[in-house]
Amino acid sequence: MSTVEEFPLAARRPTEYDLLLAGGPTVLEAFPAAAYLCDAAGVLVSYNSEAARLWGRAPDLQSQERFCGSHRLFLPDQTPLPHEHCPMAAAVIQGTETRNAEVVIERPDGSRCTVMVNIRPLKNHRGEIQGAVNCFQDITARKAMEQELRDRNRDLEDFFENSAVGLHVVSGEGIILRANKAELEMLGYTAEEYVGRHIAEFHADAPVIGEILQRLALGQQLVRQPARLRAKDGSIKHVLITSNGRFAEGRMMNTRCFTSDVTDLYQAEHALRDSEGRLAATYNAATIGISEADEHGNLLRVNDAFCKMLGRTREQLLSMNFADYTHESDRANDLSHYARQVRGEIPSYAIRKRAYRIDGTMLYLDVHSSSVRDANGRFQYGVRVLQDVTAAQNAENRLRESERQMRDLLEALPAAVYTTDAAGRITFYNKAAVEMAGRTPSAGEQWCVTWRLYTPDGVPLPHDQCPMAIALKEDRPVRGAEAIAERPDGTRVPFVPFPTPLHDADGKLIGAINMLVDISDRKHAENRQKVLIDELNHRVKNTLATVQSLAMQTARHAGSLPGFVDKFQARLMALARAHDLLTESRWEHAPLQALASQLLAPMADAAPGRVSIGGPPIALTPRAAVALTMAINELATNAAKYGSLSSDEGTLLLQWSLRDSPEGRAMLAIEWREHGGPAVLAPTRRGFGRRLMQRCIETDLRGSLDLNFDAEGLRCQMMIPIASCAANV
Amino acid sequence: MSELDGLRVLVVEDEGPVALLIEDMLLELGCELAASAADVDEACRLAASENIDFALLDLNIGGCSSLPAAQILHRRGIPFVFSTGYGVSRVPAEFQSYPSLAKPYVLSDLEAKILLALDRSPRC
Repeated sequence: MSTVEEFPLAARRPTEYDLLLAGGPTVLEAFPAAAYLCDAAGVLVSYNSEAARLWGRAPDLQSQERFCGSHRLFLPDQTPLPHEHCPMAAAVIQGTETRNAEVVIERPDGSRCTVMVNIRPLKNHRGEIQGAVNCFQDITARKAMEQELRDRNRDLEDFFENSAVGLHVVSGEGIILRANKAELEMLGYTAEEYVGRHIAEFHADAPVIGEILQRLALGQQLVRQPARLRAKDGSIKHVLITSNGRFAEGRMMNTRCFTSDVTDLYQAEHALRDSEGRLAATYNAATIGISEADEHGNLLRVNDAFCKMLGRTREQLLSMNFADYTHESDRANDLSHYARQVRGEIPSYAIRKRAYRIDGTMLYLDVHSSSVRDANGRFQYGVRVLQDVTAAQNAENRLRESERQMRDLLEALPAAVYTTDAAGRITFYNKAAVEMAGRTPSAGEQWCVTWRLYTPDGVPLPHDQCPMAIALKEDRPVRGAEAIAERPDGTRVPFVPFPTPLHDADGKLIGAINMLVDISDRKHAENRQKVLIDELNHRVKNTLATVQSLAMQTARHAGSLPGFVDKFQARLMALARAHDLLTESRWEHAPLQALASQLLAPMADAAPGRVSIGGPPIALTPRAAVALTMAINELATNAAKYGSLSSDEGTLLLQWSLRDSPEGRAMLAIEWREHGGPAVLAPTRRGFGRRLMQRCIETDLRGSLDLNFDAEGLRCQMMIPIASCAANV
Repeated sequence: MSELDGLRVLVVEDEGPVALLIEDMLLELGCELAASAADVDEACRLAASENIDFALLDLNIGGCSSLPAAQILHRRGIPFVFSTGYGVSRVPAEFQSYPSLAKPYVLSDLEAKILLALDRSPRC
């Protein structure tokens, strides 16, 4: 170093460096900021306490630190700054002066501060660099504030630019200075088309913007001032402008305008006004009655139709409660519903009620009542729409009455009748139907009231295939069908159904009616007739067989043709008489008394007073009647020809009685006794007559026959069990 | 003279005169009258107990059906012929294979049916 050599010169006139160095730290302490001094080599030679505070350390001057006493340095953008490149280095090496440069110092504890650095190189009289002095200030707080300001400004810009509300700034002269995106979008202009133009160009109403600018110039604030702006596409936007002026030195510099687009709202309001207008017109012109009532039912408003309906003037009605003209029987119902509606328990209700006109006549009203409530749900008033349904109700009443009469009629019918809907579900059945079915159909049953169905042949018939189901499915009446209903108790009823579809006025199928006619009697009669014909056939054939037998047997034993004819006729006639008697009782029975009298009538007539017949009344079965007829006829023929009645004095007694046999069986005892005729000779051979009698009495009737050829007269005793001869009468 | 000679027959017929005719016819055909009944109980008893080769059954005796007797005969394997005034249709299905005689009938009818029942054709 050459400092020693130059000393004399320096001593002569000290340089700034010399003075600062000579003054030591005391001089530097006098600085109102941090300061330090470096020599020409950049070695730190002096510093003050503020510098030590900002560095966060106190460098030892003996350690020859160069350029800066700080721990580490950074540029404001946080790039590390080596000490040999710091401004002090530039000052001592190149003589560069630094003004208001910003550097970040990191202390040994890691904390940082931003400082503003001012460095001046110090030169001697020859202009040689002797060192440099650095004076630096902590500007950390200012930097932070600057950052905040920048952030805030950015927020404001963002707010301005991206606000949902249209915003523009207009100069004191009315020129648009700025406009945000929302405003540009609302009107459809680009920033170039909008900014820089006079605001009045965009207003649809010149006087309005004139007034706005005037008011702003006077320092008045605009709050939601309505205006109309012209958009780029020619449409008009309804806006509300909120604005105030910014003044500087009493002169308006500019205004900030918030522009809210209320076009939609405006249109909605307009539409609402329109619809309110229409509603009011409708209200009065409507043909249905409309009224509004307070929470108690007092009428607040009524339309013309309603006045007309009740025959009362508007003034009269507006002084009434709706209960006043309501029929007393319907009043409580209407009022209680209305009270529930007012309390909000039900939103609305509909009832049909009776009401009085002013002249006292009654009408039916259909009432639809609902509420108008405010935004908080509080009841405002009730709206009641009323329709005069008197004509419809009267028609319904008449219909119901006629339906009732029809049902009464169907109920009274002796035939089973039921009806179904179009799906076949039973809707009505009368008592006769229940009796016939032997059961009460349950709800929803389909097709038939019966329990089970069969075809006339006894094949099960499913209900969905029954004649009623066919009538409904094919929409045609079914006639000529026959079926058998089975009751739950197992009894069966043959019947003829008459299912007939029913249609409404448009011809649409609405159901069907069916009448079930019990044909049990007819069926019984048919069966009975069949049985009778069978029986008749049987009887005729048996009779023919009997006649055949009589003819064959008579012929076999007859000596001559006249003899055959007599005997055959007698036997035939006896058979005919038995048949006559049986026919009188429809072949159920024949009284023995009548049978005997008729068989013996020819003899009794020919021999008056000599024939006596008697016994207790007894009805014989047809078979016993025929058998006894055959037997008695044989005895009578014999008596007339050979016995007591062949003489002039002989008598005949035929009597019977009921007695018990020795075995205790009830018996019919018949006694035939002839008396006073020619002497009786026992027959030499057993003829047909006797065989026939034995066969009839002994085999057919399981009785006994005792023939006694007494000399005084023939006696015959027949004992027949009551069980095999008596008919149940 | 006839192949029905000695055939022991049970006659079930409730009309006396008809029974007499049948019996005469059977005798004429050479049959032997084994027994005769005019009611169902008697007919059943005889059908079950008598030593018989053949039976002639009236379908309806005393208002009752003679089928119980027919069943006994069927079980015993004794051939029989129904006689009826009703016509053949009254014979129940289970006995349709037995011949039937419709009243009134003549000797040759009876003979033919008996032979049919015995499954023997008359020799010419």
